Amino acid sequence: MRLVTLFLTKELRDIHRNRNVVPLYIIMPLLMVVFTIGFTWMVPTILAMARTQQDPGMLAAIRAARAIPEFAGMPEPEALTRYVLRTLVGFYLLLPTVGAGTAAAFSIVGEKTQRTLEPILATPITDRQLLLGKMLGALVPPIAASWAVALIATIGVDLIGWHRFGETLMPDRFWLVGVLLLGPLLGASATLLTMRLSARMTDAQAANQATALIVMPIFLVVLGVFGRIMVASFTAALVSCAVALAAALYLLQVNLARFRREEILTRWK
Amino acid sequence: MIAAAGLSRAFNGRPAVEDLTFEVPSGALCALLGPNGAGKTTTVRLLMGLIGPSAGGATVAGLRIGADAATNAAIRRTCGLLTETPGFYDRLSAWDNLRFFGRLYGLDGADLDGRLRRYLDLMELWERRDEMVATFSKGMKQRLAIIRAVFHDPKVVFLDEPTSGLDPEAALGVRELILRLKGEGRTIVVCTHNLDEAERLADIVGVMKRRLLLFARLDDLRAERQGPGTVAIEVRVPGEACELALRGLPCVTSVALHERSYRIGLTDQREIPAAVRALADASAAILRVEPEASTLEALYLSAVREED
Repeated sequence: MRLVTLFLTKELRDIHRNRNVVPLYIIMPLLMVVFTIGFTWMVPTILAMARTQQDPGMLAAIRAARAIPEFAGMPEPEALTRYVLRTLVGFYLLLPTVGAGTAAAFSIVGEKTQRTLEPILATPITDRQLLLGKMLGALVPPIAASWAVALIATIGVDLIGWHRFGETLMPDRFWLVGVLLLGPLLGASATLLTMRLSARMTDAQAANQATALIVMPIFLVVLGVFGRIMVASFTAALVSCAVALAAALYLLQVNLARFRREEILTRWK
Repeated sequence: MIAAAGLSRAFNGRPAVEDLTFEVPSGALCALLGPNGAGKTTTVRLLMGLIGPSAGGATVAGLRIGADAATNAAIRRTCGLLTETPGFYDRLSAWDNLRFFGRLYGLDGADLDGRLRRYLDLMELWERRDEMVATFSKGMKQRLAIIRAVFHDPKVVFLDEPTSGLDPEAALGVRELILRLKGEGRTIVVCTHNLDEAERLADIVGVMKRRLLLFARLDDLRAERQGPGTVAIEVRVPGEACELALRGLPCVTSVALHERSYRIGLTDQREIPAAVRALADASAAILRVEPEASTLEALYLSAVREED
């Protein structure tokens, strides 16, 4: 375990000094906080405009919010605010999934391009330790970032909610399951999938392109299939977690079975 | 310390190294020579247990390569590797890089810090330890990579092209370090294209081109090297006395003067000292003595060309 966490520590030091990760770890989290708090703040205005202009999209959203049994007895602004917050959970799945996927894409191929792979493989570290270490190094920073952002957003939203409705709005159970469970599980799946690709790739650009081609569509499909149901049904949210967990465990087994230092060493020229 | 018997490795059915059989005793420095693609790096990877053999086998420090994962890990713990390119994490400091690799070798705490301090001092990098590796010159990175190859006290050190791409001063520094490591009693295998470097450092030389074409102690090769040869001896002021002195030697078959340099044909290369002595006795100030080809160069070229 000590060796596995060593890669995480190294990764965190590297991120600290890497300006290229600013969009992922600064701009994207900032946008997430601004969107979450901004939408919460704007709900009464949006509601008023929708009523005045009879905007069909917004009216459909209001109808969808009212259709959720938990929100049925609530005033319209509160029901719509809670509905919007629940749909925004998808936003908080994006950072761990894409962040971990991108980092994982570079995990093995990055060691190859920096010429650090062979010196690492020349140490007594086992294949399993290397795989788990690289996985942890790719997965933990974006998850930690998404949790930190969720916490900040929660505080902001609750300040508005307390002021406006006299009660806190977040975190509800959907938010907790989404941010604390589904995000990390999707991130783990994305990490393991792209690490498998990264071990077979010979340059960073190819690894990044493969990640974009595979991780994003999968993420969109998951959200497309489960997103609308997840907002309404807590059971659906739990089922999504179970599916993501099964995918992550399967991909972990595949990686452990196929991750061989000889393969990743000799495929690289 | 290292013993290979019929060691072979093929990639996709194409042999990279074939039937390598050799022994390197403890404390010896072996230079593996060969053109690009000769299989030197593959040989090192096989001996480090990084890749498995297709046929044959080898033992390193008494451990059989490819026996199982635990044995391979034990071999890697016993060996140090300097890769051809000194790969480091550019955004981390030299200290953080070395600590990372130290912990991969199972070292930690005061023990690791003490070793790092000793080697960073030795390599004159202690003052730069907190700077990012990205700011280091190639020579500094190479010295850092040598620290990484030896700070866990390996019995066997593999050095792949240790002076490749370095300026002459940095190359000299690295050669001195290699000799220092040898002085510490480590068994060293150096892969190099540089025949002069091999001749200066090695006890044993191996010439390979997929197969081992030659493997012998350098002293034995020097002693065996005989037969006619030519030497160029440059003197400050050539003259009749010099020429007479040379022609008076029974081993001299021809003498030709070109500017200030005598080109002397000899019945046996081992007679070069006699020619030098004759010129010195004739009061000639000798500026340069250059055999037609160095022992190793001649052997290397004949071995490789024969294989072609």
